[in-house]
Amino acid sequence: MSNYRVSGRGRVDTARPISFTFDGKTYRGAKGDTVASALLANGVHLMGRSFKYHRPRGAVAAGSEEPNALIGTRRGPGRFEPNTRATVQEIWEGLETTSQNKFPSLKFDVGAVNDAAYMLFSAGFYYKTFMWPRSFWDKVYEPFIRAAAGLGVSPKEEDPDHYASRYLHCDVLVVGAGPTGLAAARAAAVGGLKVVLVDENAEAGGTLLSEPQARIDGRPAWDWLTAELAALKELGVKIMTRTTAIGYYHQNMIGMVEKLTDHLPALPADTPRERMWRVRARQVVLAQGALEKPLVFHGNDRPGVMLAGSAQTFLNRYGVLVGKKPVVITSHDSAWYAAFDLQDAGAKVQAIVDIRGTVSEALLSGARSRGITVKLSHTATGTSGRLRVSSLRVNPVTNGAVGAGEEISCDAVLMSGGWTPSLHLFSHTKGSLAWDDDRTTFLPKDTPEDCVIAGASRGLWGIAAVLADGAEKGRAVAEALGQTPAPAAAQAVEGDRTGSGVSMTELPTDRSPGKAKAFVDYQNDVTAKDLRLAVREGMRSIEHVKRYTTNGMATDQGKMSNINGLNIAADALGKKQPQVGLTTFRPPYTPTTFGAFAGYHRGGHFEVTRKTQIDSWAEEHGAVFEPVSQWRRAWYFPKPGEDMDTAVRRECVATRKSVGIFDASTLGKIEVVGPDAVEFMNRMYTNPWTKLAPGRCRYGLLLGDDGYIRDDGVIGRLSEDKFHVTTTTGGAARVLNMMEDYLQTEWPDLNVWLTSTTEQWSTIALNGPDAAKLLAPFVEGVELTEDAFPHMSCVECTVAGLPARLFRVSFTGEIGFEINVRAHEGRKLWETLWEAGQQYGITAYGTETMHVLRAEKGYIIVGQDTDGTVTPYDCGMGWAVGKKKPDFVGMRGLARPDLVAKGRKQFVGLLTEDKSRLEEGAQIVFDPKQAIPMKMVGHVTSSYLSDTVGQPIALAVIEGGHERMGETVYIPMPDRIIAAKITDPVFVDPENTRLKI
Amino acid sequence: MTAHTSSLSSGVAAVSSAARVSVEAPCGRLSLRARGDLSALEGALGLALPRKVGGRAAAGELQALCLGPDEWMLHAPLAAVSGLVEACAGVYGALPHSLVDVSGREVSFQISGPRAAELLTLGCARDIDTIAVGEGRRTLFDGSTVILWRDAADSFRMDVWNSFASHLLHLLEVGVRELAAEAL
Repeated sequence: MSNYRVSGRGRVDTARPISFTFDGKTYRGAKGDTVASALLANGVHLMGRSFKYHRPRGAVAAGSEEPNALIGTRRGPGRFEPNTRATVQEIWEGLETTSQNKFPSLKFDVGAVNDAAYMLFSAGFYYKTFMWPRSFWDKVYEPFIRAAAGLGVSPKEEDPDHYASRYLHCDVLVVGAGPTGLAAARAAAVGGLKVVLVDENAEAGGTLLSEPQARIDGRPAWDWLTAELAALKELGVKIMTRTTAIGYYHQNMIGMVEKLTDHLPALPADTPRERMWRVRARQVVLAQGALEKPLVFHGNDRPGVMLAGSAQTFLNRYGVLVGKKPVVITSHDSAWYAAFDLQDAGAKVQAIVDIRGTVSEALLSGARSRGITVKLSHTATGTSGRLRVSSLRVNPVTNGAVGAGEEISCDAVLMSGGWTPSLHLFSHTKGSLAWDDDRTTFLPKDTPEDCVIAGASRGLWGIAAVLADGAEKGRAVAEALGQTPAPAAAQAVEGDRTGSGVSMTELPTDRSPGKAKAFVDYQNDVTAKDLRLAVREGMRSIEHVKRYTTNGMATDQGKMSNINGLNIAADALGKKQPQVGLTTFRPPYTPTTFGAFAGYHRGGHFEVTRKTQIDSWAEEHGAVFEPVSQWRRAWYFPKPGEDMDTAVRRECVATRKSVGIFDASTLGKIEVVGPDAVEFMNRMYTNPWTKLAPGRCRYGLLLGDDGYIRDDGVIGRLSEDKFHVTTTTGGAARVLNMMEDYLQTEWPDLNVWLTSTTEQWSTIALNGPDAAKLLAPFVEGVELTEDAFPHMSCVECTVAGLPARLFRVSFTGEIGFEINVRAHEGRKLWETLWEAGQQYGITAYGTETMHVLRAEKGYIIVGQDTDGTVTPYDCGMGWAVGKKKPDFVGMRGLARPDLVAKGRKQFVGLLTEDKSRLEEGAQIVFDPKQAIPMKMVGHVTSSYLSDTVGQPIALAVIEGGHERMGETVYIPMPDRIIAAKITDPVFVDPENTRLKI
Repeated sequence: MTAHTSSLSSGVAAVSSAARVSVEAPCGRLSLRARGDLSALEGALGLALPRKVGGRAAAGELQALCLGPDEWMLHAPLAAVSGLVEACAGVYGALPHSLVDVSGREVSFQISGPRAAELLTLGCARDIDTIAVGEGRRTLFDGSTVILWRDAADSFRMDVWNSFASHLLHLLEVGVRELAAEAL
């Protein structure tokens, strides 16, 4: 009784049985089965519980549009996936699957109480019920809604699979490998054009797989298909199955996801689970076909009620009868053929019930010859059966009046409300649609992309028609690519099942429509009644109706529900469908894993981690690292037992006492060369450069054209025509881009060129009273004396035998040098200096100590002490702005009224009265006794412990701060209010005596 | 020699039936920028600079790849760099230009094998087929700027900045295995 497999039917290999489990019970299927087809072969229709009402549900479709049969799949630890469509997942030996949204079991679910209380859960229910009190939302309502509704459970373990991505360029991409796509690919594969044909299914063929009765060019459809695929391969067409075109992006970029391992019993090594293909096609042929529409009537969601075309697919492709006593309810000819196929395969079709009053004689005689009862002008008004449909209630309709009901006993209901062309990808292109009144559907019109749409996806019906259309469109795109394809002869098709139908809203009923559970969106449990209620409550646009009812908002994105929903809403509004509108199709076409989007970018490969040539030394010496833009930099070097504060205090003290060594290689470096180099520098930076002599350096300040500080750095003039510019670590790429932008668009007349040399050099900074003593013995070409090489000098020389660019600069207030050697020689020089520095107790320090030492001197860090709204004057660096220059980037911006107004936030130092360390980002007020919300007048930008100063120090921006030296301000914290005195930001050695050798 | 995590040593990094990736020995690299009549520079270099973006020229061991209307990347033996710099400096008066030694900035991978071009599609959005043998391009690979030199139908060089090298090499290694595992 439980075997629904039909021998001699289908493409599955029953000689290769496969066992898998569903909710812990083992079932047998055949090679080629999906979970759904295998369960149906075992007589199992109940596969899940619905989202809101927890109603029992079974597969309603046979493909990726399936809204109901969503299951969890598992393949060992970490490999659990919720919400997989049972109609897509292929079975393999040992596959574990589970139903969802049920407790304690699929057959008895306490959540189904929602179904009895369905009157409460009407459209807009959440908005109406969970409004008051506001405070209940976070703690009561939202958790309740989240717990009550929902589908599968999110996986909690890390995904052990790997995901891949590739780019692919082709001349013609054909989406959909049904007869249309096959014909298009064949026609386009001329003159060496590179053609790619993709299909989401496990095998190519589309509708041909479900229509073995057809004969094309005298051959049975499946034989023709085999030969055709071989011919396409011969022509060099790349055929990709299990590959879904998920989105159509600008300029013919199509995203496709290929599933590589979900169907395999064992995971092959080095093979990703999924691969994202980013395809750039010169021409695209869309041949996605059409999707069948359900009919909307009371009880149309009971397990066993399914689309007639899908029943035909289960029979012809998988060799499975979805029922032995099916009944058909339809408004389209296609369902008649499904009935004939099932009857011919041994089922006893109870009746074909058609809404229409007349159908073709061919169909009637087909039914008659098979002894199938036909009921025309009938409607369906209900189903019965608890976990599986057991009867369909049908009533005659005469002149719009619904007559007495009659129960037809059955074990499956096959329904068809007609077919909807798949316009998803076409719509992604911003393609316009035209309403077709005859077919009651939208058809494709114009698209801005190099794209054509063919076959059933533009409303054609029948194999002969779509083969001809596919071939024509294939030739058209080949011609657009400069080829002259030969005209192909039309292919003769026998057994073609052409036909038509009418489109319905809800089926007429003799019962109260207000109590009907006639589902439009199965996945989100939206009924026709909900849609009409939404219209009664004032929703006029389909976009509002959609959001109010959630129709079409589930993971199937309304593949089945959108058109029925629109027809019902339009009917309720008394308007034509185009006036009500169609909701937007958005990618992805089917649910797509995060893994496919992430591709290779996970774990260690998530993002580039740039390391300097000296990074390895830091790692070997126990450095703790911090990320600075893409770089990882040594943060501090703790000795055993030291915490961060202790290590940083030791590094600071040692550097000020003797000498510290620091890896400054990440600083951006730009070589500016050419006869107009100095003019370029004058225009780019605020400072004047003309009088800077070769061999000298200057601190440069870079503004945006708004007058705010963007970057800074020390710049050395190596010769008349050559500058060595340094930038901040994070600003390197941005600054070079900004400079190139000005050079190429504003000043193309300047004879100057920019080259990034950030990575040409390893840069080692030596700072401290012993820095010159340590370095001098290694330097050839210059004497490290106050006279020969004063502060802010630069020279090309030799250091430890290595060609070097030596700068005398200081970001610490101590005697300082920055030695640039060719990148790969950096570590060698570092080790040489480290060894020689032992006699001075040399200390390696990281970015934190660098921050403290510069803060003690009041040097800003762009991006920490500035936030894009700080001018040089705000920072007390008016001295860096060339007053006599005719122009520079930001000069006009600096003259804006707001930038010269009084009361701007200005850069100052802060010393707390209680000697506590302030929190960076803390807000500052003048009067701590004012009412809340207090007026915030600035914030703390930097804050550190400082042994040199003898108490913690902070930097801040405060309104009118420069005029408020010595005043007390307040920093309110959660537990107390801290008082602090405004000071000059230079805490250490304001006379710069320590810079002297 | 200490093995440094932050710098790659030359030699084969990954190999499979599909492709082979190796890190090349250091070489001299110069970034050249100039406009106008280039004959003075060409005389100094002993090489006619290609004018078409993507075009290449070679003279002896000196190779030039045109990257932009006024931009070339030159590759030469390390020992030849100082001579080239000096020779070009000699014509700076006649033709002002920028010649910057970037030998220390980059490392090159050699990518070869029957599916070398396909390996590049893992990270390069441009159509590899449009880079003719004997040409080159500056492009992006896995989000980072690289220069590709196509030396043969199945042989490429990829110049990358030092600090991006291990990240990019990791993807190439994964790809070398992934391609080999594919049934064709």
